[in-house]
Amino acid sequence: MAFEPQTDAASTSGTPGGPPALAITDLVKQYPTGTQALKGVSLHIPEGAFFGLLGPNGAGKSTLIHCTTGLAGPTSGSIEVFGHDAVQHYAEARKAVGLAPQDLNLDHFLTLEETLDFHGGYFGMNKKARKERAAELLDAFSLSGKRNDRANTLSGGMKRRLILARALMHRPRFLILDEPTAGVDVELRLELWHYVQRINQEGTTILLTTHYLEEAEQLCDRVAFINGGEIVAEGTSADLAKQYGVGSLEDAYLELVGRKELSRASLGEDIA
Amino acid sequence: MTEAQIRFVSLLRRECSRFWKIKRQTLGAPLLETFLYISVFGAALGSRVKSLHGYDYVVFIVPGLIMMAWAINAFSNNSSSILQQKFQRAIDDQLSSPASPLELLLAFSLGGFLRGLLISTLTFLCATALFAVSGDHSLPVHHPLVLLAALFLVGFFFSQLGVLVGVRAEQFDDVSFAQTFILQPLIFLGGVFYSSALLPEPYRTLTHLNPVYYMINLVRYGFLGYTEASVALSLGLLAVAVAALFTVNLRLFTTGYKLRA
Repeated sequence: MAFEPQTDAASTSGTPGGPPALAITDLVKQYPTGTQALKGVSLHIPEGAFFGLLGPNGAGKSTLIHCTTGLAGPTSGSIEVFGHDAVQHYAEARKAVGLAPQDLNLDHFLTLEETLDFHGGYFGMNKKARKERAAELLDAFSLSGKRNDRANTLSGGMKRRLILARALMHRPRFLILDEPTAGVDVELRLELWHYVQRINQEGTTILLTTHYLEEAEQLCDRVAFINGGEIVAEGTSADLAKQYGVGSLEDAYLELVGRKELSRASLGEDIA
Repeated sequence: MTEAQIRFVSLLRRECSRFWKIKRQTLGAPLLETFLYISVFGAALGSRVKSLHGYDYVVFIVPGLIMMAWAINAFSNNSSSILQQKFQRAIDDQLSSPASPLELLLAFSLGGFLRGLLISTLTFLCATALFAVSGDHSLPVHHPLVLLAALFLVGFFFSQLGVLVGVRAEQFDDVSFAQTFILQPLIFLGGVFYSSALLPEPYRTLTHLNPVYYMINLVRYGFLGYTEASVALSLGLLAVAVAALFTVNLRLFTTGYKLRA
């Protein structure tokens, strides 16, 4: 498999000095059960950034993504994507966003080609554009041979690729990757990172959540730690490591979650 | 086409492709079921009942069967489609698109509506063909405008009901409960196979309390010109019920009730 970025550079490049790709201000999300998943989060991601959002399970990462993409309604606060309101008058904001969710949420009734075709249609792409784009992406993700197979017949890795292809179908300027490599083998993971890095270099803004911290450190130009529904730190990997007085992003994360004894530096000490 | 039109057509195509892909189950089975009703009830019961209000028994029941086919299929299509997509979370693809709540609701509604329309049309054609072959009966259409209005309103009502149950449902049992324990008894006891005029009290009054009774009467009036209830009042109340249900569903889609977190 060889991922070749097919992103249309013209559609991903923004206006220099324009609004940030994502501007979240005082975002609160309280579920009907009373759980407050987000407690006044503010976050700005500049256009063109490769931004990592890291935190333990249940920290609020997915809730923040869901609020941004319309899958959850914020209790209060504002969300703007490239200056467009993402909550009330969301059409323009949503057109700019591509979401590759954590769940393998593919429609079992649809073939791969239909999955991409319908998605393109939901975003207003005409038939010719959908056909061409679907062929490009199926080819880029080495799924062409399975274009007429139903999505539920794919392996886990192929489903991941299809989900990423679907997220890119309408040429979003802002790509949100929520744990895109969960359950994916090393080879595919690395190919996927290479692909994502290239489309970022071509202008697509990326928001990534992952538990592979060393990869986040390598890929992301800025990182935020979220814990208990609050952004507790933000900066470059080096900034965060410095802020926590450790040598790596992973160690900073372990400090955040109060598990510094798990640091790689201490691996083997128990045995010794 | 504008972006909004492309979006809506894509949402609707998705709904139709779902039932088209499993057409043995979604089209074949209901059609066979209706055909069996016509054959069994028409042949077995028809030989004893002979005629009802001047119509051959089998002709008397066909309008109700056509309405029943539309109602049940519109309901089951929409409730199942929405619940399945909620389970798979595939619905997130539509919910995170620029589609408005109105576009989403209309597309989900029309999926079942069109499936019901298709099965009802095939049922009508099958019945007409059966009658033509037997040479004994014919299915007249006395009031085509009333018939079209009634069928469209009934189809849209049960489409909306299917959407409502699908959105509210948390497990497949919720959908099958609504269909088996509420919808089908209401339809069967609404007078598809008999005339309420033949029922003793209190069953006649109980039948008159069943809203489906008025829907069946409307459709029967459209075909046969025979009714036991006011056509204008029935049409008016049905239109109000459709509008009310549509408003409730639009509210659910706007707030994201059981659809968005």
